Order: sequence, then structure tokens, then C-alpha cells
Amino acid sequence: MQEMTLPSTPWVWYRRWLAPALVVLLIMLAGLIPKLVDKQNVWNLFFLICLNITLGQSWNILAGFAGQTSLGHAAFFGIGSLVTRLLWLDSVPFIAAFLVGGLAAVAFAMLIGAPTFRLRGAYFSIGTLGVAEVLRITVSQNLPLISTMPAVQIAGYDLPLRYYAALGLALATIAAAWLLLRSQWSLGILAVREDEEAAQASGVHVLRHKLLALAISAFFAGLAGGIFAFQQISYYLSAPFDPTWTFDALLIVFFGGLGTLVGPVLGAIFFVLVHEQLAVRLVDVHQVIFGILFILIVLVFPGGLVEAWERLKKSQRLTRVKNAIRRSLFTHPDRT
Amino acid sequence: MPILLSVQSLNVAYGDLQALWDVSLAINEGEVVALIGSNGAGKTTLLRAIAGLHRPLAGTVTFDGSPIQGLPAYRIVERGIILVPEGRRLFGGLSVLENLELGAYTRRARAKRAGMLQRVYDVLPVLAERKHQRANTLSGGQQQILAIGRAMMGLPRLLMLDEPSLGLAPMIVENIFEIVKMTNEQGVTIFLVEQNANRALELAQRAYILEQGRVVGTGGGMELLGNESVRQAYLGTIPTTDKT
Amino acid sequence: MSLESVMQTLLFGLFVGGIYGIAAMGLALVFGVLKVLNVAHGELLMFGGYISFWVFTTLGIDPFVSLLIGIPALFLTGLILDRVVFRHVVRLAGEEKIKNSLLISFGLTLVLQNLALRVFTADDRTIQVAYTGAGVSLFGVMLPFARLASLIIALVTILVIHFFLRRSYPGKAILATAEDWEAAELAGINIHRVYMMTFALGASLAAIAGTLVTIAYGISPTVGLAWTLKALIVVVLAGTGSILGAFPAGLLLGVVEALSGILVGASYREVIGLVIFLAVLLLRPQGLFGRT
Repeated sequence: MQEMTLPSTPWVWYRRWLAPALVVLLIMLAGLIPKLVDKQNVWNLFFLICLNITLGQSWNILAGFAGQTSLGHAAFFGIGSLVTRLLWLDSVPFIAAFLVGGLAAVAFAMLIGAPTFRLRGAYFSIGTLGVAEVLRITVSQNLPLISTMPAVQIAGYDLPLRYYAALGLALATIAAAWLLLRSQWSLGILAVREDEEAAQASGVHVLRHKLLALAISAFFAGLAGGIFAFQQISYYLSAPFDPTWTFDALLIVFFGGLGTLVGPVLGAIFFVLVHEQLAVRLVDVHQVIFGILFILIVLVFPGGLVEAWERLKKSQRLTRVKNAIRRSLFTHPDRT
Repeated sequence: MPILLSVQSLNVAYGDLQALWDVSLAINEGEVVALIGSNGAGKTTLLRAIAGLHRPLAGTVTFDGSPIQGLPAYRIVERGIILVPEGRRLFGGLSVLENLELGAYTRRARAKRAGMLQRVYDVLPVLAERKHQRANTLSGGQQQILAIGRAMMGLPRLLMLDEPSLGLAPMIVENIFEIVKMTNEQGVTIFLVEQNANRALELAQRAYILEQGRVVGTGGGMELLGNESVRQAYLGTIPTTDKT
Repeated sequence: MSLESVMQTLLFGLFVGGIYGIAAMGLALVFGVLKVLNVAHGELLMFGGYISFWVFTTLGIDPFVSLLIGIPALFLTGLILDRVVFRHVVRLAGEEKIKNSLLISFGLTLVLQNLALRVFTADDRTIQVAYTGAGVSLFGVMLPFARLASLIIALVTILVIHFFLRRSYPGKAILATAEDWEAAELAGINIHRVYMMTFALGASLAAIAGTLVTIAYGISPTVGLAWTLKALIVVVLAGTGSILGAFPAGLLLGVVEALSGILVGASYREVIGLVIFLAVLLLRPQGLFGRT
């Protein structure tokens, strides 16, 4: 076994400094989009990407990290948007309304959390769907009208501002997920995902960990709803409760890679781009094509992009190519 | 006696976990062959792989001269290999009669269904008495008998049994082994996996020993019964009781 | 409220309950045998409804008679869908199977719903036959012919399914596969074929339900998810192991909804169903007829 000497070889330098620097650069670039490009629809596109990153990442925390496949995610998105919208249009400052919206989603989550977590497997999934639907129908029955921004606000509508808000939230959500994975609870949460009974037997307080994941998931979904309420000029108040939002989150996370940190990001980018492209090019049948694409992706990429990438990295051909590159560019201690 | 089943260098894995390593064995027509080994050795895996419930990684299974590895389970049943799985696995919500009828689902067995049903009733009268009773209301022993009866309805040439004595009282176990012996006497080849190694070795002409996924020994039934290390490992130090 | 109007409401609850029952049985079959939750079940129902509408408007065939076309059409569709799409998820296990099947069937929902939107447009379609609105009056209660016929068709359907599943050889093979697919395979049953037949059967039941829906309410491309949810509620109410129990559970739901419509007002009727659904899931997960 050859000895590995670590510091100061270019390969390690890449891993330690260059990759994070690239990430920071990407974030800065994302921040500069409104300055670099001057088209409404591009800003809108990036807004959607950021919103969907948040939507996906928040679902990922519950389903990917804690292993609870909830189908009621739209409930939190909806509550966040409802509370934010009502407060904000009632002259509450947006930041306050926004945060209250997120907290309202958490409150609801904690209310239904304990009872629904008594369900297992498919029953949990359909139970959460049922809860979300109850909410949706109740809202659409009691608040059936469209909510429109007052004319004053429409006149002064600032899309870049909303994009920055969405970007900030997306980054915050990713950061929260990252911190969660490094926190003292991460082991317990992942254990619950892998084998609930074994976790219980090892002394992990299963319900508490599930509720924690649920709370964080609901909080950020609620905040995403708040951003949605901020961005939409007019919409039906019950629209954010529609199960389509849940399924979008599922697809995004699933395609990117469930349980990974970067999966929802990749998934959101892919999802929004493909959806928009299809909508533009194949106006009539774009939803149909999207649906077919959806199905194909689920069948072909069960582990998402991240798994496909991992498998690719391990594949023979790529390894040979990588080694050839390494040999010519760097001296790597492992291979002579 | 011609070779009925031949397993050559069979390798089976569950995902990343390999359970069987280069397993080879042969069963001749008309024999009773036992497979013994400690818990978790891979005995069930081997039976299930032969039966077509698991696709092997490598190796071949040849039945009556034709390769069958990789075939789906129902095709293997059509060829004449029937497995009585561990834990019986009856259709609990259906009646005894319905379970037996479903045992004869293949075309070959369906043709002889009525006649075979009568024979099963003759040989296993306890099933005739409880024709219309729901399978999951039977006792453990009765369920095991039903499981064997259902397998017989499929007209097997090779009958594989996975732990038929599991969870049953000694007297019932005797009954089960009697039935297995009788079945063999009617021309059905038997491959028997048993925790109760004593009885298995008494009944079998030959046996294989499986440990940690590998075949570690083979020999005649009586020969292994008499072997010191085998006795210590699998038969306990209590000498065998007198056989009936 | 007069006794007559209460009876009338209850009776209509029974009528709609029959449709609930048929719709739910299709879903219960697929869930019970393939262990897959087909979110697109409502979309299949919707297509069944459109077939009867289309056959009626272009060929003038009575919608009940159009079942002779709708059932085979959707049976074929079911065979194809199983072969092309669901076969790949059926063999998975546990959480992965749930996730994948939910996603795939949701994708199917997108495809079917938007296909319908494209082909049929978003307008509501209704069927008016010669006997629409006509009926008999019994003790002051109105019994429309169309509704009566629908209930009769529903009852006949469940009787046929009952006899098929419990008395025919292939039917018992389906029940056996639902109980224990490995044991079924070991008995020589070709479970791939069972899965395909079952899915096709479920689609046929959706066709029947769809036709009954169109006759009673009309049809539009977006009703799919609502009916899937309704069927799901009934399946949970009956108990997910119970395929035949879905019908009486459907009738029960219809009547309970009608009753609560009287008590708490029409707008909360939908919510009642969902509340019952959640209550059953939490308090009696095996449902009314299920065995644990």
C-alpha cells in the first residue's frame, strides 16, 4: 500500500480550494444576472429556478434525509403563501409577513405531524395527500376569489428584487440542509430513514427526529410560498395548495438525486429549463411531452442525476480517461 | 440413476451481498438429498435460486439436461421443479380446496387436476376433512401438509422443501417426514433443507453441507450421521433416538 | 326538511355511491394485486367517459350500450400501459416502489389529462338522451331512469367481478397473487400475465365508472384527480386488502356524504369524505372489511 502524502499537490489543491471557489463564483454570477441580462423572461426563468430549488430542497429534507415520502408538501407551500399574502396586502411589511408565513406552515406541520407519523409507507403518503387536499378544498371554498395586488404595487413592481429574494431563500435552504447534515441530529435522522426500528432500538427518539425534519421542511416550503405570494400579481389563493406543486417537488428531487445536497439544485434547473423550452417550442402538446419525459426519467434514472454521475465516475472508460489526464497534468500520489 | 438436477458453480447475490459462492451439487432421479448447515448459511437462498426466484450472478442449473438458470419461477414449475417455501406461504384467505387447485395451475398439471386432487385427499385425509376451511385457520402442521399437498398438485418431478419441520411439534414433524418419504416412494425426487439435521440425514440417501455460502462437505446420509465433526456441528451430542 | 326530500337526498347518495364503488374497485384491484397506487386511475375514468360521449354524439349509440365499446377500449389501454410503463416498477421493493409508481402514474396523469384537453377541449360535455330527466315516482321520491339504470349496471358489475374473482380459476389466481406473489409464482402462476390482466381489468372498471359519471354529471378533462382521490378514500374506507369490499364502502360514502350535505351544507361535502379518510387511516387502518 503506497503512502499518501497529501498537501501541496495540485489535485488536492483543486479539491480544497478551487471547487468551493467555483461555487462561490457561480453564486456571485447568479446574483449578477439582473445586471448582466436585461430581459424580463430571463429574470423570470431564474426566479422560477430559485423557487423550485427551495421547493425541492425543502421536500428533500423530509423525504431524502428522513425518508418520509410526504405527498402533502403543497399544504406548507400554500399556508406560507396564504398567510404572507393576506398579511402583506393588509399593510404588514413584507419581511414580517414572509416570516410569519413560514412559521404558520411550521405550526400546521407540528399540528398534523404526530398523528400522520403514525402511518407507515404508502399510508403515510396518501394520508399527507389527504390532509393537503382538505386544506386546499377548505381554502378554495372559503376564499374563492382571486387575490390581486393593488395597482400601486403593480406599477412599482420590481422583478429583480423578487429574484434576489428567491435566490437568497434558495441559498438559505441549501445552507440549512447542509448544516442539518453536519449537526448533531443528522445521524439520528439518517438512521430513521434507513431503518426506523433499528434506530428506535439504538435509542434514537424517532418521532422527535421526524418532527425536526418536518419542521425545517415545512418552514422553507412556507417561505417559498411567501416568495410566490410576493411574486404573483394575481392568483387564486387556493392555487398554491394544488398537489401539482408537491409533484413538481418530487420530480425535481427525484431527478436530481434524492437525499443528496446538490440533487434538488440540478433537478430544479433541469425541470424549469425543460418545462419552459417545451412550452415555447411545442405549445400545444408540451404538457404531454413533459409527462412522457417525466415517466421516462423515472424509469431510466431511478437514482437521479447524482447517481448517474457517480456511476459514470466509477465506470471503466471514464477512469481511464481521467488517469490519462492526471498523468499528463498532475503528479498524483496514488498512481505512479 | 440419471442425474436429474445439476448445479454448477452457482453464485448468487442479494444486491451487493454475495450469499452463494461456487456452489455445485447433483441430485439423481428418485433420490432424497438433504442440505444441512447452520442458520444463514444460504440454504434457503440456494433453493430459491434453483426455483427461479433469484437470478444467479454466475453458474448453471441444469434440470433433465436443459439449463434453467435465469428462467422465471413459473416456467421452472412447468418443467417439474416445485418448491415448498419456508414458512408455508399458503394463500390464507382461500380455502384448502382452492389452495390445492391453484397448485395445479400449469397446463400439464391442470389436465390431471381432478385425479390428482382425489389422490391428495386419499394420501392426506386431513385435507379432505377440511376442504372448505380457510387456509389461515388451519394449525401449523395442517398448513404444512397443505403446502406439500399443493406442491404435489403441480406434479413435481423434483420436490424441494425448505424447513418443513419449522415451528412444528415433534409428533407432527414425524408425520411430515412420513409424508415426504411416501412421496419419494411414489417416484418424486426430494431435495430437503432441514434444521433438524438428524431426521433429514436419516431419511436422505445423500446430503450436502452448506456453510457461509459454500459447499463444505458431502456424503451418504448414514455416513454423515456417523461422522464425528458433523455430529458436533449439526447434530448435537445427544445420540439419535431409535427410529421407527 | 320533509321526509321525502331526505329520502331523495339519501337515494341520490346511493346512486353516486354506486359510481364511487365501481371507481374504487378498479383502484383497489390494482393496488391490491400489483401493490401500486395508480394516481392516473381518474384519468382512465375520464377517458372512459369521453368514449361514451364521443360514441353517443358521433354514432348516436345510447351511452349504456357504448360500454360495449368503452370497456374493450380501456381494457386494451390497460394492457398496453402495464406492458409499457408499470411492468418496470412492479418488481421494485418498498419505498422505491411507492415513489416510482407515484411519480410514473403522476406523469401519466399529465399525459392523459393534457391529451384530453388537446383532443376534446376544456369544455364540459354532457349527454342528453331521450329519457334524461324522466323517471318514476315512488312514495313521493323521484327515481330517474338514468340513475336507476346506472345503479343496476354498477350492481351487475360487482356481481360479475365477484363471480370472476371468487369462482373462476384465473380470478382465484389473481386473488392468490394479491396475497403472496412469490407463492403464486411457485405454484406456476405467470404473475406477469396476472398483473397485466389485473391492470386491464382495473382500467375496464374505470371505463364503466367513467360512463356512469358522464351520464350523471357530464365530463371534462380535469376531473381525473378528483375521482382518483374519491376512489382512494373509498379504498381506504374498505380496507386496502379488500377488493370486493370497495363497492359497499362506496355506497356507504355516497350515503354519508349525502347525509352530511343535509347537515353541514353542500360545500363541505367534499371535506367530509377526506375527514373520514383521515380518521380511518388513523383509527382503523385496516378499514371496514380489511384483515390486518
